[in-house]
Amino acid sequence: MAETMSVVLNVNGSGRAVSVEPRKTLADAIREDLGLTGTHLGCEHGVCGACTILLDGEVVRSCLLLAVQADGAEITTIEGIGAGDDLHPMQQAFSEYHGLQCGFCTPGMILAGIDVVSRNPDPTPQEIREEMGGNICRCTGYQKIVESVQAAAAVMSTEGGSA
Amino acid sequence: MTTTQETRWIGVSAPRREDAPLIRGRGRYIADIEPAGTVHMAILRSPYAHARINGIDTAAAEALDGVHCVLTAADLEGIGDFPTIWRLPGQKESNTPALAPGKARYVGEPVAAVVADSRYMAEDALDLLDVDYEILDHVVDVEAALADGAPVINEDLGDNTIIEYTFPGINALGVAGDIEGAFEEADEIVSGRFKVGRYSGVALETRGLVADWDDLRQTLTLHSGSQVASLLRTELAAALGIPETSVRILTPNIGGAFGNQWDRYPEDILVSLASMKLGRPVKWIEDRREALQATVHGREQLQEWQLAASSDGTVLGLKGRVLSDQGAHLHSVGIGPAWVTGAAAVNQYKIANYHCDVVGVATNKTPNSTFRGFGGPEAMFGIERMMDKTARRLGIDPAELRRRNMIQADEFPYFSPGGAVYDSGNYPAALAKALEAVEYDKVREEQQSLRDQGVYRGIGIASYIHVSGFGPSAILGILDYYTGGYEGSTVKIDPHGRATLYTGMIPMGQGTETTLAQVAADHLEIDIANVRVVWGDTDQTPYTGFGSAGSRSNVAAVAVIKAIEQIKAKAVRIGAGLLEADPDDVAYADGRISVKGAEEMRSLTLADVAQQAYWAHKIPEGDQPTLEATYVYDPANFTTACGTHVAVVDVDIDTGKIDWVKYVVVDDAGTIINPLLVEGQIHGALSNGLGGAMLEEFVYDEETGQLLSSTLMDYLVPSFTDLPDFEIHHLVTPSPHTEGGFKGMGEAGCFPAAPALANAVADALSHLGVEVDQTPVTPSRLWSLIDQAGG
Amino acid sequence: MKPAAFDYSAPESIAEALDLLAEHGSGAKVLAGGQSLVPMLNFRLARPAHLIDVNGVDSLSYISANGTLRIGSMTRLTALGESGDVAGAHPIIPKAVAHIGHRAIRNRGTIGGSLAHNDPAAELPAVLMALDAEVTARSADGERVVGMQDLIEDRLFETTLGDTELLTEIRIPAAAASSTSGFQEFARRHGDFALAGVAAVITTDGSTITQAALGAFGGTHATRLPTAEAALLGAETGDAAFAAAGAGAAADFPATSDVHGTAEYRSHLINVLTVRALKEAAGNSGGGNG
Repeated sequence: MAETMSVVLNVNGSGRAVSVEPRKTLADAIREDLGLTGTHLGCEHGVCGACTILLDGEVVRSCLLLAVQADGAEITTIEGIGAGDDLHPMQQAFSEYHGLQCGFCTPGMILAGIDVVSRNPDPTPQEIREEMGGNICRCTGYQKIVESVQAAAAVMSTEGGSA
Repeated sequence: MTTTQETRWIGVSAPRREDAPLIRGRGRYIADIEPAGTVHMAILRSPYAHARINGIDTAAAEALDGVHCVLTAADLEGIGDFPTIWRLPGQKESNTPALAPGKARYVGEPVAAVVADSRYMAEDALDLLDVDYEILDHVVDVEAALADGAPVINEDLGDNTIIEYTFPGINALGVAGDIEGAFEEADEIVSGRFKVGRYSGVALETRGLVADWDDLRQTLTLHSGSQVASLLRTELAAALGIPETSVRILTPNIGGAFGNQWDRYPEDILVSLASMKLGRPVKWIEDRREALQATVHGREQLQEWQLAASSDGTVLGLKGRVLSDQGAHLHSVGIGPAWVTGAAAVNQYKIANYHCDVVGVATNKTPNSTFRGFGGPEAMFGIERMMDKTARRLGIDPAELRRRNMIQADEFPYFSPGGAVYDSGNYPAALAKALEAVEYDKVREEQQSLRDQGVYRGIGIASYIHVSGFGPSAILGILDYYTGGYEGSTVKIDPHGRATLYTGMIPMGQGTETTLAQVAADHLEIDIANVRVVWGDTDQTPYTGFGSAGSRSNVAAVAVIKAIEQIKAKAVRIGAGLLEADPDDVAYADGRISVKGAEEMRSLTLADVAQQAYWAHKIPEGDQPTLEATYVYDPANFTTACGTHVAVVDVDIDTGKIDWVKYVVVDDAGTIINPLLVEGQIHGALSNGLGGAMLEEFVYDEETGQLLSSTLMDYLVPSFTDLPDFEIHHLVTPSPHTEGGFKGMGEAGCFPAAPALANAVADALSHLGVEVDQTPVTPSRLWSLIDQAGG
Repeated sequence: MKPAAFDYSAPESIAEALDLLAEHGSGAKVLAGGQSLVPMLNFRLARPAHLIDVNGVDSLSYISANGTLRIGSMTRLTALGESGDVAGAHPIIPKAVAHIGHRAIRNRGTIGGSLAHNDPAAELPAVLMALDAEVTARSADGERVVGMQDLIEDRLFETTLGDTELLTEIRIPAAAASSTSGFQEFARRHGDFALAGVAAVITTDGSTITQAALGAFGGTHATRLPTAEAALLGAETGDAAFAAAGAGAAADFPATSDVHGTAEYRSHLINVLTVRALKEAAGNSGGGNG
C-alpha cells in the first residue's frame, strides 16, 4: 500500500482533513472519507455524469479527479445545494416536473442544471439538451428533466438565486 | 369493473413521496450501505469467451496484506446454484453456476472472488491471481452455433440447441389453423429476416450487494437490489443450504433495474458465502465494465417471417422461426422472452392461421434474460416490419393495411392464436387518434414536396399489444413457470386511524410508493398524507409470487383494494356495535362509519373505530382485535395494454444520420392512477426502446469472442440530444378483469419504439427500396443500405 | 475499476516538473486534465509507478495573442473555447472545442493533454495540424520546437515526445488575411469522439485557392490530407474542386473499422465532411479564417 497523504477538502463550506492514498479518486473520498453519499458512481470513466460536483464553482466529474488534486479546493456536492430544509429552485422543479424516477442520476443532474442556468439564465429546451448532454439518465427519457431545468431557470431569474 | 365511489387520488398527479430524499442526495442505495467492519469483494472474470480452467494459483493473492479470503470453484462444494424458473417442456436445463466450474463460457463469467479491506486492495489481489486457461474454440453467432461441428457450450446438453418450441396457432375453438392452406391461397407472400440487436437495461446504478452473516443468531441479512426479494430469499437459502427463516433481504433505493434485477445472479451466492466464511459484512459493488459483461443482456433474436396476404390486404397467415441467442447459460427465466415473442407476434391483427417455431440457442455470450419488454418488443419488431413490407408490396397505405386487419372493439375477449387472451381495447380508435395527432395526411403531403428538395422524411407507424399483469398462477403453472403470479398486501390501520400498507413490490423508480398510497387513500377515503407504504424488507412485507416489474403495479393495486375492502367491512362491523345499529344499516363513506340516512348524527371517524378496535372492549363476535387485513390477489386474467406510435424522421442520405421530426404516442393502459407518473413511464420505456433501435448494442467480435462494448464509450446509451419530445395521448379502456380497471403499463412504451423508427427510416428511403431489418439502425449500417441501394 | 497504486508529485514550477521527469523517466506519467488518463488508471490500462501532476504549475496556463498565438499547454479547454483572442485569430478552434466532450470534461481537459494523449479521434491534433501549429517540448536538457505533424507522425495514443519531455506551449502562426475555415465532424452522439472529422483552412486570391490545409481525425491517426489539398491548390472555389478534394480526402484518410462504423463508411464520411467543411469555409468571409 502506497503511503497516504493528508489533504484538506473544503466541502459545502467546511474544511475537512482526510488522509488518502494518492490513487483514491475524489468521488471515493467524498463518499467514503466524508460520508457524503449523494455523489454517485455510475461508470468511473467519465461518461455518465452521476458523480458531477462543482470544483471551485465549475462542474467536473469527481471520478476523474484524484482526491489529492482537490487539496484546498472548494467543493460543492448535492448535499450543499439548498439551505437546510429549503430546497434550491432546481431541486424543487425536478420534483414538481417529475424530472427524476430512480434518483440515481439526480444529484449530478441538479448540479449540471444549476451550472447551465448560471451561464444561461433563460435557456431554450434545445440549449438545455445540448448543455446537459454529459449527464445520462436511464429512466426519464430526458423530456421532463428539460422541463424541470426550464422551470427552475424561470424561478431562478425571478429570485436572482443561484447555487 | 371500475370503482364506484368518487375518486380523489386515483387519476391525480399526486406529488411523489419518493423525491424528498433523492433530490437532496439523501437517497440510500446499496453502495451507500456499509455496516461496521465491512470488507470488500472483487471478482475475477474470464477474459476468454470459452476456456478450460486447469488451475488457479491463489497463493500470491492470499499473501497480500489486507486480503481476507479468495474463493474459487473448489470452495463451492455443497453450494447449489439458482434454478431456471421457467422450465418449458423440452427445455434442457443448464443452471448458472456461481463460479465457472472447470470451464468459462463467456467473457465476464465469474472465475474467482477476492475479499479485502477495500475495493482498491481487492483489485490489487485480482492482479495476483494466476489462472491456467486452456483456450477453446468459441461461437458467438446463433446460426454458427447451430451448424455442424460448432463448439459445444454445454457438453452435458449434447449440442447448442436448448429447446425447439412450436406455437401451432390454436384458435378459440381449440384447433390449429390451416397455415399451409393460407399460404396456398395467398395472392402475395412477403418474407422478412430480422436481426433484433442485443442490448439491455444498463441501469445507471450498477448492481451491488452487502451480505451480513450473524453467526450467533444464524441469520443472513442481504442488502440487494433484487426486484423479486421473496424469490431471491427462497432460492438463496436453498443454494446456501440454510433455512429460509435465516435469510432476510433488505432493499434500499434502486437506481434503475429494467427487468435485469429480476434475475438471480452468481454474486448473490458469492457475497453471502464470503460473509458466512468471514463472519463479517461483505460488500460488492459491480463496476461498469462488470455491469456490461455480467448483468444479463436482452433481446437478441434472429427472426424469419413469412406473411400470406390476399390482394385486398387481408393477412391470411403468418409463420415464423425465431432463433433466440441465449448466451452461455440459461438464466432465471430460461428462454421465456423468446416464448413471449412467439405468443405475441400476431399483435393486434386477426390472423387466423399462425405457426411459429422458437429455438433457444447457446452461444459463448453473456446470458440473455429478463429486460423491460420481455420478448414483446422483439415480437412487435417482426410483425410491424412485416406489416409495412406487406403494405409496400401491395401498394396499400401502411395505416390502412393495419386498419383492415385489426381486431375490432366488440371482439373481446379475443383468443389469439399465439395463445393469449386479449381482455379489451379499441385498436382502430387508437390508430385513428395517432394518425390524427400526427396529422398523417398533411405529413404525407409534406413528405412528397420535401423529397423534391432532397429532404428524406419518413413516417413510421407501429401498433402494439402488451400482455401484462402476469398472471393467473394457474396459467403460469400450465406454462411451466415455477412461481406464482399473485401479489400480497397487508394494510394496518393504527389506533389513530392512519394506514400503513405493506407491499411485496420493490420500487425501482416508477413511483410505486406514491401510486399505491394513492390507491389506498382513495379506497380508505382518507388523506394520502395518512398512508405510509412499507416495502423492501422480507421480514415485514408479504411474499410476492412474481416480484416487481414495471407492469405489476396493477396487480399490487388490486391486492391493496381487496385488503382495504376487508378493513372497511370490519370497521363497519365494529362501528355498528358502537353506533348500536344493525351492520346492514351502516356504511363506510368518506373515511367515516355512519348509519345510512343519519350520517350527520350517527357517525364515527375511522380513528374512532380504530381506537376501539385496539382497545378491543367491544369487538363483534367472530372478529379479532385490531384493524388490519392481508389479501393475496391472484389475477383473474392477464390485462392487455395497447396503442399505436407514429415516428416521423428525416434521414441524411449522405451520412445515414437520423433526425427527429415528431414522435406521437397513443396508449391505452386502462384506468390511470397517476397521469404524471404514467407519462414518465412512457418516456422512459420509449428511451429504452429507441436506445436499442438507434444506439445500444452489445457487439461481439466473431474472431476473438470478445465483448467489444464493455465501456460506455462503446456501448452508447441515449443522451439528451438523441431523443425527441414525445407527444402523448391516452385512450382509456378499463380492464374488465381487474378491480379498478388498471392495466400494466410500465413497459409498453418500449414495445413499438424500434419498429416505429425502422418503419419511418424505410419509409424515408422508399424511393431506394431500402428495408431496415436490423437494430440498432446505426448510421454506418444505414449508409451501407443506402449505398447498396444506389442512393 | 480502481487505479493501481502509484506515487504522486505535484510540482509547482516547470523546472520542478522537468526534474521529476528526468528522475522517473518512462515510469512516470504526466497528469494534465486527467480526462483521458484517469479513466485509463481506473481501468488499470495505465499503471504508472509515478504520477506527476502539473495542474499546480500556473506558468503553463496562458493565452498570448501577438501575431503568433501562444497557448500554455495547461490551458483548459473551456478557457480555450471562450477566449476572444483565440476566436479572433482562429475561429475554427472554438468551433472544434465545442465538439469535445461536455462542459464538465472541458472544464478540466487541457490543450496540451489532448495533444499528448493523441487520441486518433480527437479534434485538436487535426485542427492544429491544419493551422500549421508547433509545440514546444522541454526537458531538463533544454527545449525544442516540434511541428504538429512531427509530433504525431502516424502514431496513436502516443507522440514523438520523449519520456523526459514536457509539452509546454502550442504556437499557432497568424492566419493569412483572406483565409477562411470550416470544421465538420460526425459523431454518433453529441460530444462523443468522432467517427470522422475534418478541419479545413483555405486561402483564396479572389476565386482561386492559393493555400489549402486540411486536417482529418477519426482514422487510425490524425493526419493532413495531401491529395485533397493538392486538388484544391490553384483551383477555382466551387463544387467541382470541393468534390475532387472530397475524393482525395477519402483516398488519404487512414480509415478503420470498429463497433461504431466500418472503414468503408468512414472513408465515405470523410469525403462528405470534406466537401461540407469546404463549403462552410467558402461561405465564411471576412478574413482571419473567419
